[in-house]
Amino acid sequence: MEQYPPLLALSLFFAVSAVLFFLFRPEKGFYWLARKNINSRKKVIIEDVLKFLYHGEATNNSINIKDLTRSLNFREQQIFESIRQMTEHGLIHLEGENIKLTAEGNEYALQIVRAHRLWEHFLAEKTGFDKSQWHTKAEMMEHQLSRDETDKLAASLGHPLFDPHGDPIPTKTGQLATQKGKALSQLEPGTVGRIVHIEDEPEVIYRQILAENIHIGSQIKVIENTASRLVFHAEGESFVLAPIVAANLSVAVLEQDETPEEGVTRLSALKENETAQIVQISKEIRGERRRRLLDLGFVKGAKVQVDLPNPLGEPKAFRIKGTSIALRDNQSSKILIKKID
Amino acid sequence: METKVGSACETCTVFNAKGLKKLGVNTDNFDFVVALAGNPNTGKSTVFNALTGLKQHTGNWPGKTVTRAEGAFVYNEQKFKLIDLPGTYSLLSTSEDEEVARNFILFGKPSVTIIVVDASRIERNLNLVLQILEITDRAVLCLNLMDEARRNNIVVDERSLARKLGIPVVATSARFNQGIPELIQTVSELANGKIECKPHRIKNIPPAIEKAVSKLSREIEKVYPGIANSRWIAFRLLEGDEQIKEALRSGEFV
Amino acid sequence: MDNKNIENIIKLSDDLRWNIGNDFHDSLAEGIYADASSIVEETVSTGSQKSRATLDAKIDRIVTSRTWGFPIMFLLLALVLWLTIIGANYPSSFLSWLFLDTMHPALKTLATGINMPWWLNGFLIDGVYLAVAWVIAVMLPPMAIFFPLFTLMEDFGYLPRVAFNLDYLFKKSGAHGKQALTMSMGFGCNAAGVVATRIIDSPRERLVAIITNNFSLCNGRWPTQILIATIFVGAVVPQYLAGFASLAAVIGIALLGIFFMFFTSWALSKTVLKGEVSTFNLELPPYRPPRFWKTIYTSLIDRTLIVLWRAVVFAAPAGAVIWLISNIQIGGESIAAIMINSFDGFGWLIGLNGVILLAYIVAIPANEIVIPTILMLTVLVTGTSGGAGAGVMFEADSALATGEILKAGGWTLLTAINLMLFSLLHNPCSTTIYTIYKETKSVKWTTVATVLPIIMGLVITFLVAQIWRLF
Ligand SMILES: Nc1nc2c(ncn2[C@@H]2O[C@H](COP(=O)(O)OP(=O)(O)OP(=O)(O)O)[C@@H](O)[C@H]2O)c(=O)[nH]1
Ligand SMILES: [Mg+2]
Repeated sequence: MEQYPPLLALSLFFAVSAVLFFLFRPEKGFYWLARKNINSRKKVIIEDVLKFLYHGEATNNSINIKDLTRSLNFREQQIFESIRQMTEHGLIHLEGENIKLTAEGNEYALQIVRAHRLWEHFLAEKTGFDKSQWHTKAEMMEHQLSRDETDKLAASLGHPLFDPHGDPIPTKTGQLATQKGKALSQLEPGTVGRIVHIEDEPEVIYRQILAENIHIGSQIKVIENTASRLVFHAEGESFVLAPIVAANLSVAVLEQDETPEEGVTRLSALKENETAQIVQISKEIRGERRRRLLDLGFVKGAKVQVDLPNPLGEPKAFRIKGTSIALRDNQSSKILIKKID
Repeated sequence: METKVGSACETCTVFNAKGLKKLGVNTDNFDFVVALAGNPNTGKSTVFNALTGLKQHTGNWPGKTVTRAEGAFVYNEQKFKLIDLPGTYSLLSTSEDEEVARNFILFGKPSVTIIVVDASRIERNLNLVLQILEITDRAVLCLNLMDEARRNNIVVDERSLARKLGIPVVATSARFNQGIPELIQTVSELANGKIECKPHRIKNIPPAIEKAVSKLSREIEKVYPGIANSRWIAFRLLEGDEQIKEALRSGEFV
Repeated sequence: MDNKNIENIIKLSDDLRWNIGNDFHDSLAEGIYADASSIVEETVSTGSQKSRATLDAKIDRIVTSRTWGFPIMFLLLALVLWLTIIGANYPSSFLSWLFLDTMHPALKTLATGINMPWWLNGFLIDGVYLAVAWVIAVMLPPMAIFFPLFTLMEDFGYLPRVAFNLDYLFKKSGAHGKQALTMSMGFGCNAAGVVATRIIDSPRERLVAIITNNFSLCNGRWPTQILIATIFVGAVVPQYLAGFASLAAVIGIALLGIFFMFFTSWALSKTVLKGEVSTFNLELPPYRPPRFWKTIYTSLIDRTLIVLWRAVVFAAPAGAVIWLISNIQIGGESIAAIMINSFDGFGWLIGLNGVILLAYIVAIPANEIVIPTILMLTVLVTGTSGGAGAGVMFEADSALATGEILKAGGWTLLTAINLMLFSLLHNPCSTTIYTIYKETKSVKWTTVATVLPIIMGLVITFLVAQIWRLF
């Protein structure tokens, strides 16, 4: 029987493993990088440029070529080439330094935005992907959906008006619902309002918002607004944000007569031996998940108690309508309750 | 029409023990199809076993049964094919785990549906019961786990429950074979049209929605005259359920 | 039917949906519950008792407590395995006495008596009959004890509490908490565990649960673990500790399986099955005292029949194949010997040997026949006399005798440990593979589920072997 020295065998093994690791490690593996390069074809570049221009025009910023090369993650050469092609096809025209969308270009851009937001809506309603991944996934999918597919998708989702971040979804003919909301960073202390939109770009800031566990639809009250920080209360908890982060949250200000809900907290904050009544399920729980919670008895007015804490802290079991039901914090923090004695 | 429902054994003739034969898996040439529906872990498979003499796996956790099982029994020379379904919380969802049960209840067209509920948790079980009653008018409520309810001092007025729901109610403890004869008798009478049901309709709906539902269900009845569950179809259409749209197009409902 | 009318209805419903707004489902659900509570108010009286049986609440407090929750899970697993190991001994030796020591010679005598040709005699009695007899003698007793015990826990209502306790770990691995339930089902049978994943409603998490179900040691593999642990691990410690040491080894392998299940779930969630954890909601049912004797009786009868059926379907042809490859010669050597010799080099590299690898190939249809095959092939290679020529499944009537054969075949403690590891980490049996295909309807995921555990098994056994040899 041939026998290998173990040390040699082990070193060979680790060498092979290391090679495989560098080839295939998630995201940064050479294999994936190579694949991604192949994928950034002309169509993708053109569509991303169009989208960038569209967002620029929506916020009244004029955009020149330098802005494009700086903001988009493509080689300069590729961007020049795509601009040449787009001008040829009548999607854009130049006004001095600045690039402008033609009517046709605007329509094209809206289709991309529509596909993007619909796909985010789809991910939110029908799949288990986390919020932090919707955007990246949609960035890829928006280039792959044909118009027909987009329309089918819209139909199967029931023609939604807003995406899960609160952005309006353009209709087939390019109409947009309006969303009234002010940047949270501009609100006076004492203002009461409802969060209507959470901006998902840039990602660094979006991740901070997610980490704070702030939800769309939450009612808030601004407590403090200074140059260094913004403090607000929502759902029985206090949140402190940097102004740059707060600027990415839009709030619909509530009129004085729309009285704020007093004493509303989150189910995750319910303690043992306390009883509460369910006020509502946050709009952040959508689709199938929402239906399941309702079917399990988490409906407005139902009484709820903590039945069992968990040895690892999570999930907790709640007693509702005569049965014990275990929920993870990611759901119980989105169920709003009012304690009763 | 006068409805005549109550606790099963006042309205029914006495159970004919000699007329019963459990047939196990032999399900050919049946006269009636009977579905077992209900929330998870309410004892559907136990009832199924008691009726057919089979050994479907049971277990004390929600989700033990995940595929449908079939069995049969003969009662008074009529053959009943029985379908054990996975538990479901609702027919209003589109979740994958409940698909098997939902599809059978909606499209399987059972002659009779036995709705198995946990007698200690009637309120949460009624969520499904009231939904099923929007679909079918031949159902019996099997108030199972009565032994546990009794131990927890829960008393159910079966007669007024039957009156409120508009379907017969039979109390059982399937694990101990209690109430099974009455259940069989009631199923047989329902199948043969001897008991007339007048199922409860969901009432507490906001007016705006109620208006939309009745408008839609009137339209549906125009296209499919005499359809029993137009209200249910309206509910599902308002929810945007693609499957129902397809079913409507293909006429699978009639 | 009039298609235009139907399209009109659908269009009308789309319009109406916009008018009634987004809260339709909420309103409907609330409406139904309002009806339900008004009905219940008039028909149900709850009496004086509190909403929850106090005994139930007390048990729950203990089995999910911070201090006792995990120890109790561990102790229950240990208890079940201990009872299985202890309890299987006696029926096992009785069955080997009956089928192997008594019936086999009797059949041989009978066959000689009626002048059966040697090849038919060998093929039927030394091949088919012995394979079936071996499976029944070695495999049936542990299964017949393990299953009823497990069913008792299931009927009591303990499984949902396990899922409740472990969910946080599943969440961290990007998996669904109900995977604890399907994993538990896998301890009985992986194919059943794979079907049970239907309770997981997120497709991604369901795939994770399907692919990792194989890391639950199934019924076909428990007896292998128990036998090898008893022979080799039990032997290296003083006599009075032997039982304890082999129990610890088996539990260790089972826990290792659970660890690999978490690890693989995590790795899958970070790579090919990328995505975040979805939600988890689980109803915790009340405890229900199981009906002891009835449960024991039905699960015994149920299992016995299924195992017997499988034994006949899989072991019989396997026995035939073993006898054939041991007796058909090519160039003066049997096919079996040629294969074993060619596998030996690779087998040595991963701390196993050619016999074991060949046995795993023969045993792809069913894990139950691995040990019998290994024993038979070892006898063939080492020439340890089992009496009746090549390809006879050896009539080992006690663990001791089995140990002697294996040691004669060059087995060491390393071989034993690596066999236990490899039995945990290798491809699922044919039934499970087919079930995975039926459930996923995807060749790709079936392949992943089949190949992934083998790769892990090879890597782990390789590493263990090399490091072992370093010292
Ligand atoms: N005490 C008592 N226990 C019962 C009765 N009927 C069923 N059980 C127990 O309740 C548990 C659930 O029974 P199953 O028949 O598996 O319930 P199921 O409705 O089929 O559950 P799923 O298949 O998960 O939907 C088992 O442990 C049964 O033994 C009864 O009448 N009394
Ligand atoms: Mg069942």
